[in-house]
Amino acid sequence: MTVLEVVPETLLTTEPWEEKGGVHWSTASPLNVREVAKSMNALKARFITITAYEMPGDEGFRLEYHWDLDGKLLGFPFQLSGKSIESIYDLCEAVDWIEREIHEGFDLDFLGREYEPLLLRQGDTAGVNLREEAK
Amino acid sequence: MSYKIPMGPYHPALEEPYKLDLICEGETVRDAKLHIGFNFRGIEHLAETRNYIQVIALMERVCGICSNIHTLTLCQAMEKLTGQTPPPRAQYIRVIMAELERLHSHVLWAGIAAKLMGFKTMFMTCFELREKVMDVLQAISGNRVNYSMNRIGGVNRDIDDPAALLIMIDVLEKEMVRKVIPIFTTSSTARSRCADIGVLTNAKAISLGVVGPVARASGVAQDLRRAAPYAAYAEMDFQVPVESAGDVRARLMVRALEIMESCNILRQALTKLPPGELNAGEGKLAFITGTATSRVEAPRGEVMYSVSWKEGSNKPARVHVRTPTFVNMPAIRSMVQGARLADTPLIQASIDPCYSCTDR
Repeated sequence: MTVLEVVPETLLTTEPWEEKGGVHWSTASPLNVREVAKSMNALKARFITITAYEMPGDEGFRLEYHWDLDGKLLGFPFQLSGKSIESIYDLCEAVDWIEREIHEGFDLDFLGREYEPLLLRQGDTAGVNLREEAK
Repeated sequence: MSYKIPMGPYHPALEEPYKLDLICEGETVRDAKLHIGFNFRGIEHLAETRNYIQVIALMERVCGICSNIHTLTLCQAMEKLTGQTPPPRAQYIRVIMAELERLHSHVLWAGIAAKLMGFKTMFMTCFELREKVMDVLQAISGNRVNYSMNRIGGVNRDIDDPAALLIMIDVLEKEMVRKVIPIFTTSSTARSRCADIGVLTNAKAISLGVVGPVARASGVAQDLRRAAPYAAYAEMDFQVPVESAGDVRARLMVRALEIMESCNILRQALTKLPPGELNAGEGKLAFITGTATSRVEAPRGEVMYSVSWKEGSNKPARVHVRTPTFVNMPAIRSMVQGARLADTPLIQASIDPCYSCTDR
């Protein structure tokens, strides 16, 4: 049995979860985003959003995935070594727009999906880091 | 043979910009593609350039309808980073403001829906009622759109005369019961324009993760005021209206019933308003490093703010806003598939979209 399979029973009490800043964070490591999505589907958790962070210096990007489970906010952090992560769009269609927004605004790639038509912008290039553009 | 009808970005039905490319066969819509971004202002990025006082004023301007909700959610997140707990009176005032804003938003939506149905008289009636709600909001805050009520650790202004507001709530509720709800629920015009139109099935609503009245009209009984209470909602006794049909009429019914529940909550909050301070204290705030998240049930559904802070800074490192329309809008594609072209403006309006919120 994996950590994620025992979420409801252990959410508030056991080691792989830490409540901080209003979120029940999974501290299990390493996490695979597609396995997390499958586990959340099995639990009938509702996908909320992904928050993207551009870390200072050469630390790259961090993505935080959030689901709601009966009013509890679950968080799964992923530190990206490069500029891509597997898409979970085929497992969770609610993720569509936020994956597209992050791709268009942070130039991160969600592997295994298409982005057309562009959600936010016009043009030929989908992935642009708007923060870099704004400097 | 199919053909494409572009609707927008300067929308004939909803006076905000977004674009819907409708793929039609005859009068029937087969598919739709949505384009947003026309209101993109880079507010999340701008937030990183504002200090912890300025950022509240900035985020209040994400939306012109639920401006209070944005500052409430932001302040709740920042209170987790500063360790401040608003006093009870402030928590009640936050509930009162949130419910007045819900009333204002739902009555505004009812007016727009009536206009799209061809019910111009009803549109005027709803906007007259909306004015009364705006009067209450103005009486409390001095403002009609950006109320500036929330601060980190409490609220900026008191409610001096709750009894006077109770009278205004009574008048509003009477008008809703006497005029608006009977017409929306019993008139044959409203029924023919709304029943079995723009259906979002329960399974699709769950799959798309829609929120707020759109979810509750498709049988998804979720409401953060009940599931994860904030402010003083844990002390309020109220129902969460849920309908199962998933059509425009169900969305209309849910909002109509929510107007009544908002009046109920307002009456309780105004009657039980506890004495005491309005905020947790003056002085410079110290933020802990890290991320805090807050969620609030806005009129259109769940709003979520993630706020990140770096040590020693007076500015947020990141503010991410997930608005309800951002998750409800993709559902329009499912709703319009198989619909008559003439029904698409009302179907789009039925999710009560806010493009300003969506684009940020």
